[in-house]
Amino acid sequence: MSIEKRLQEKAVELLSEKKVDVVVGYEAGTLPYQAAPCFIENPDDEGRLVLNPFCSVNLAKYVHDILMAHKASQKRMKPEQRTKKVVGVVARGCTTRSLVIHLQERQYERDQIFIIGVPCRGYVSKKKLAAAAGGKEITACAIINDRLSFTTPDGTKEIPLESVLAESCLSCRYNNPVISDVMVGDPAPPMKPDSEYADVDAFEAMSGEERWNYFAEEMKKCIRCYACRNTCPSCYCKVCFVEQSQPRWVGVSVDESDTQAFQIMRLFHMAGRCVDCGSCVDVCPMGVDLRKFLKKLDKDGYNLFAHRAGEKMEQQPPLSVHSMDDKDEFIYEP
Amino acid sequence: MADNKAQENWQPKIVAFVCNWCTYAGADLAGISRIQYPPNVRLVRLPCSGRVNPFYVVKALQEGADGVLVSGCHPGECHYITGNLSARRKFAMLKSFLSYLGIEPDRTIFTWVSASEGEKFAHVIRGVTEKIKALGPAKKLVKSYE
Repeated sequence: MSIEKRLQEKAVELLSEKKVDVVVGYEAGTLPYQAAPCFIENPDDEGRLVLNPFCSVNLAKYVHDILMAHKASQKRMKPEQRTKKVVGVVARGCTTRSLVIHLQERQYERDQIFIIGVPCRGYVSKKKLAAAAGGKEITACAIINDRLSFTTPDGTKEIPLESVLAESCLSCRYNNPVISDVMVGDPAPPMKPDSEYADVDAFEAMSGEERWNYFAEEMKKCIRCYACRNTCPSCYCKVCFVEQSQPRWVGVSVDESDTQAFQIMRLFHMAGRCVDCGSCVDVCPMGVDLRKFLKKLDKDGYNLFAHRAGEKMEQQPPLSVHSMDDKDEFIYEP
Repeated sequence: MADNKAQENWQPKIVAFVCNWCTYAGADLAGISRIQYPPNVRLVRLPCSGRVNPFYVVKALQEGADGVLVSGCHPGECHYITGNLSARRKFAMLKSFLSYLGIEPDRTIFTWVSASEGEKFAHVIRGVTEKIKALGPAKKLVKSYE
């Protein structure tokens, strides 16, 4: 039985037994190489659920959104009328790590989510696929084992699946769920986590001027649509600093430094909280290389505080705890 | 010519975020002890070094500061017990991250000065001013209001 079928059966079981109120999963998108998030509340809709390498977005964001909306709706209720909502979520490794971060940051209780863990062998980067198709419109797309075939007006082409997987998937350390209530499917083989900081190391070897020029050039692409923030499971502030106006934190002028300051702060908010799911990179309409900067925070978190975001429930986020023995070589002592 | 002259007379603007209980009192002691130190530094008094939002540092650099200094109580001597310890973790990552982006490491400086260290405060300010003067005016991340 295919993993998709087993997933659908599990969803029906959970919904009909009233163990969960809604299952957050993926459904086929409007384009052949896309999958969109979907919310199944009726067991009869289970056929909509899909699971394939086109499922790119991190669903933890939607779990948080649903539970926060529910929490807000309960405020106006009398205490005896309040209800509990349980969200079932189809979760890959990165999604479960985001859920761990939410739980550590006390966003909701563990019994409000039901994690349907699924193995992951990486998702297809839409940008890499578009480049492989030479920018032509893709009218059909299929995956058979490790090959991906797509049809453009020029004809059908077959390429290895690995060549279009997202960067964050190729060096993924946690492609199997770190926590789950039920596991659907067998654990996936490991990816290549040893090379996860190769990009960062190469960037660090450049001179300061080169690094700044690269950063400034990347930020020139940014149109400040805030898609990266909207899709990021770790970006859940009720009022984001970019929208605060008293005081106004970030300017909205055309000056390049405003965009740079916005990005520096959004990136820095991910310190010890970025799970490298690649959602921000995936949704960015301008193709800004955000991962190069996010991965540095991840590397520092590991090197300075031996911490990997969302790896374990017991391990607190690095900036939430402290110790007298923390490294302090950077402190200036004249 | 005018540019060269401006360059010659250029004095760095340094924003210092200091904690109320140690470094600000240290600065006060330096003042009442009449210790001389460069006038390039603008002190911003905060309750604790833990109160320094990393964005204050970024924002100061964006608004034209040539350097930013953050100073609080020595570890273990925080008025709020552990404010400076959580600050230390934040700054370790912030300094590393800003350097990674290509902003000169010496533009952001973190140090500890206690209330009894008036001489050390003056010494720190001299050292920081020296470092920033060596770097020259800030060019990166600076907002232009023209």
